[in-house]
Amino acid sequence: MNYFPWLTIIVFLPISAGSLLFFLPHKGNKLIKWYTICICILELLLTTYAFCYHFRLDDPLIQLAEDYKWINFFDFYWRLGIDGLSIGPILLTGFITTLATLAAWPVTRDSRLFHFLMLAMYSGQIGSFSSRDLLLFFIMWEFELIPVYLLLSMWGGKKRLYSATKFILYTAGGSVFLLIGVLGLGLYGSNEPTLNFETLANQSYPVALEIIFYIGFLIAFAVKSPIIPLHTWLPDTHGEAHYSTCMLLAGILLKMGAYGLVRINMELLPHAHSIFSPWLIIVGTMQIIYAASTSLGQRNLKKRIAYSSVSHMGFIIIGIGSITDTGLNGAILQIISHGFIGAALFFLAGTSYDRMRLVYLDEMGGMAVSIPKIFTMFSILSMASLALPGMSGFVAELIVFFGIITSQKYFLMPKILITFVMAIGMILTPIYSLSMSRQMFYGYKLFNAPSSYFFDSGPRELFVSISIFLPVIGIGIYPDFVLSLSGEKVETILYNYFYR
Amino acid sequence: MEHADQYSWIIPFVPLPIPILIGMGLLLFPTATKNLRRMWAFPNILLLSIVMIFSLDLSIQQINGSSIYQYVWSWTINNDFSFEFGYFIDSLTSIMSILITTVGIFVLIYSDNYMSHDEGYLRFFAYMSLFNTSMLGLVTSCNLIQIYIFWELVGMCSYLLIGFWFTRPAAANACQKAFVTNRIGDFGLLLGILGFYWITGSFEFQDLFEIFNNLIYNNEVHFLFVTLCASLLFAGAVAKSAQFPLHVWLPDAMEGPTPISALIHAATMVAAGIFLVARLLPLFIVIPYIMNLISLIGIITVLLGATLALAQNDIKRGLAYSTMSQLGYMMLALGMGSYRAALFHLITHAYSKALLFLASGSIIHSMEAIVGYSPEKSQNMVFMGGLRKHVPVTQIAFLVGTLSLCGIPPLACFWSKDEILSDSWLYSPIFAIIAWSTAGLTAFYMFRIYLLTFEGHLNVHFQKYSGKKSSSFYSIKLWGKEEQKIINRNFRLFPLLTMNNNEQPYTIGGKKEARITITNFGYKKAFSYPHESDNTMLFPMLILLLFTLFVGAIAIPFNQEGMHLDILSKLLTPSINLLHQNSNDFEDSYQFFKNATFSVSIACFGIFTAFLLYKPFYSSVQNLNLLNSFVKRGPKRILLDKMIYLIYDWSYNRGYIDMFYSISLTKGIRGLAELTHFFDRRVIDGITNGVGITSFFVGESVKYLGGSRISFYLLLYLVYVFIFLVISYFILF
Repeated sequence: MNYFPWLTIIVFLPISAGSLLFFLPHKGNKLIKWYTICICILELLLTTYAFCYHFRLDDPLIQLAEDYKWINFFDFYWRLGIDGLSIGPILLTGFITTLATLAAWPVTRDSRLFHFLMLAMYSGQIGSFSSRDLLLFFIMWEFELIPVYLLLSMWGGKKRLYSATKFILYTAGGSVFLLIGVLGLGLYGSNEPTLNFETLANQSYPVALEIIFYIGFLIAFAVKSPIIPLHTWLPDTHGEAHYSTCMLLAGILLKMGAYGLVRINMELLPHAHSIFSPWLIIVGTMQIIYAASTSLGQRNLKKRIAYSSVSHMGFIIIGIGSITDTGLNGAILQIISHGFIGAALFFLAGTSYDRMRLVYLDEMGGMAVSIPKIFTMFSILSMASLALPGMSGFVAELIVFFGIITSQKYFLMPKILITFVMAIGMILTPIYSLSMSRQMFYGYKLFNAPSSYFFDSGPRELFVSISIFLPVIGIGIYPDFVLSLSGEKVETILYNYFYR
Repeated sequence: MEHADQYSWIIPFVPLPIPILIGMGLLLFPTATKNLRRMWAFPNILLLSIVMIFSLDLSIQQINGSSIYQYVWSWTINNDFSFEFGYFIDSLTSIMSILITTVGIFVLIYSDNYMSHDEGYLRFFAYMSLFNTSMLGLVTSCNLIQIYIFWELVGMCSYLLIGFWFTRPAAANACQKAFVTNRIGDFGLLLGILGFYWITGSFEFQDLFEIFNNLIYNNEVHFLFVTLCASLLFAGAVAKSAQFPLHVWLPDAMEGPTPISALIHAATMVAAGIFLVARLLPLFIVIPYIMNLISLIGIITVLLGATLALAQNDIKRGLAYSTMSQLGYMMLALGMGSYRAALFHLITHAYSKALLFLASGSIIHSMEAIVGYSPEKSQNMVFMGGLRKHVPVTQIAFLVGTLSLCGIPPLACFWSKDEILSDSWLYSPIFAIIAWSTAGLTAFYMFRIYLLTFEGHLNVHFQKYSGKKSSSFYSIKLWGKEEQKIINRNFRLFPLLTMNNNEQPYTIGGKKEARITITNFGYKKAFSYPHESDNTMLFPMLILLLFTLFVGAIAIPFNQEGMHLDILSKLLTPSINLLHQNSNDFEDSYQFFKNATFSVSIACFGIFTAFLLYKPFYSSVQNLNLLNSFVKRGPKRILLDKMIYLIYDWSYNRGYIDMFYSISLTKGIRGLAELTHFFDRRVIDGITNGVGITSFFVGESVKYLGGSRISFYLLLYLVYVFIFLVISYFILF
């Protein structure tokens, strides 16, 4: 093993390089844009390189581990490390953030700060995905909120301050519970605080205490995921934010909730999880239906997509709740797949908003003739979002379905019922996503206004949407790309449930 | 030729490069790709021909010694689950692939001309080959998951192609309707697949059948659950094949270009439901109630489709309802267990209906130049009539197709329909009576379409004779928008046909069409007549005409070495064992002739009635007076008129089923959406905002209270001291 601190470099590179942005000469936005995109690409390449050469897929243990003592008296370590569970989200983060910076090129107001915040968020997200210490996880989790808040409150629509405040209050409220949970877990039992994930995973608690911890973590992650009824920050935030922020929010930030649910709730608190999992499944099923039908009632395009991503999160929750190998794999696949699809949909919605300047769906129409490329990409990706076979969403949902079916925890009737209701969501999904694309693009438009000529998407936008589309279809055709990453780890996690 | 089966996995992938290349080209180099245009169509046809040769070879092998080839690769393997991909070649597959490729090739050739003026020419070809790929994938798939995948993909292709002219709002609605309706079927299909997986633990057809039979034999499965799963699986077939409760998408799907209607919505994709049921027949056959359900749905669809086809003005919609009805026959045959008859009818109907659709496309193409490019006009039979003189080749093709569908002896559909009808006697007399009478109805509505279209005079010009000077008629606006015309209702029988059309304003035609209109307006004169289509369009029609003439021969027994072996029986030898009834009807030629005579006479009766009602009226104005006076006489006639009116009303409003769905389902879902939206906004978000506002007020009041005024603090202090004193006073005493 080599002891080159890959992960520390990966975590620190974006933010430290980002802080150099303020020292760049004032030569317009172009320099800033190129600098940022270069940093992002460099980071992505570095991550890929490190993972390619120093990560072994057949090993379910922590790899690339780093362990430095940070605060002495508190026994607080700078512990990083990745395993099969976190490698997917980290790569997704790199990919989506790079594309989001590329998508953010039209941002001209305060672009220096904007790009710095993007890079800071990059660091925070990778940090929280790769931390192996409970307190470090919490710190990274909080650290990453600041750039998001600033991004939300400074760039976006008219009601951006309201939505940013809502976001920060919700997530900060959730973080309180997270902190309680973290401290509780860390200080339980021994004299010294134990914050290491590995030691915590082997610890057992009294059932009541475990349930309390579990509820605390669940609330924190339910806000982030989001799980109903704690989801209302999401449509507001997504409706108002700039679309590159939306890409980051939908692509990565929501996934942190699901990741935390697997990482902490499943791995550290297995007994409570097996108690709570039926409720998780019920909530997930309700969420699929509820969010899908709420999405139908939305007039705002971005809110509609936002609710659709709430609906897709339901599958992740069900997969996590099913406590099967298959279901959990499906959940992880859905994390990755929705990261791509959601980000792409927000991107396309944002670019078409840039052209139309219309927010409400019923005012739009007939755009297909003037912007055929966006139309094509949008239809492909809304197809992907409704889980068309051959795209990643389908495989993920199918595997989650199998997870439920093969789950030995539940009886036949509840399983039938749950599957049935989930499948109803499958009917509702095309209704909202296809009617969205119909209302936007189909039909005709009488071109009264002389200035109603739109530029079709240029090479940059086309590049962004195609490069998101490629992994979507790649995973759809050959899902082992992702499943091989997580398979071993998932098995180890589930091992605890059956042999302990 | 031993290797043919090893390489047959390639079948679905052969046409795949074209859509990928066109898609990439259109996205990345639009101008260059568009300039190539027809260059793309030829490799398309070429690749499909390769597939056709391949599948011909396969089916020859199947005829010689029918055997089943199966090969699987693993798709994704994990510890708990593994999905596999593979191909499965048997007689059913070979029949279907030949069908798809032959119809596909001719439709491609046809659409080269049909779509040549359209801007979306390349897009069209890309969609078409994508469809061919997924349809071929569907028929060669070896497990249920693969079926589901391709099932959805063909649905998507159908969605894209129905919405091909996306500027038309009607097309936009139709494609969404089609997708959602099909998705309801897919919902059933997926749940059925999951259910059977839960029961047997397998997706592979053969394992599935084997395990399931064992389970049934040992009585190890819960009967109700099995029935539920099987009916859910069947729901997939119901949606795709436009059977009764989920048929609503098919007529609307006619918004797509006509070649699509020929390929997808008549010959291949709608037959996928039949294919699925045929494929899973070994499964269904051991669950008795399911077979009854299948035949019941089949017979309902037969009757419903036929009655709904009676009063359609749109030529393509009429044909669509007829397709639905014929698919009902196939479903009925499958439900009765006569696998062979169902597949035979599938083949013959596919060719006949493709021929009919291509011919109607040719008519539409020639009418468009005259009446305008709105589908309400170019496809409206009200404006047609007397086209026999102007488009003779198309007329012959259409006539042959019509006769075939009516079941007139030498033509294809006669043989298959007769087989189904005679089998139905063995199954249940009630079903048989319905099926027979529907055969008469079929003849009636098909000939109604034929007569309205080809006989008499061109109604567009007849406007002028009929007294109403519709001066604006010839100046059709670019958008196809036009002031409303009321067609003259002088004639007693004509209103039957027109009913209350024209009530709704013409929707605005596609922008693209409008552009084409400009190019074609050059030769548009006051008295232009429709022209025969180009040879490129006529050629595939003629080939399909030949198919329609001779494809019935594959099931005609030719006596060889003392056994009556026809090609179809040879192909289906292994499957024929599945029938619970003998297929020896052909042995008794007397029986056959009796049945045949009966069915033909019923068809002739239908044709005769159609002639009576839709005889070109103004060609024999003298007779008309006679007829009118005859009509007006007697209360019986009035009753009959009422009856006819009732039937037409029912048919014109599509049996009120669409209306029912739109009221109950669409409104229901919309209401639900509104409700949840309201709930989300007011309750869940309201709590959040309420907490925010409350905390704001609390903060404000605290701020007010803590306004650093000494007097106020003193007051508070004194109040508390007072309260304390009072309490302590009460406690002390």
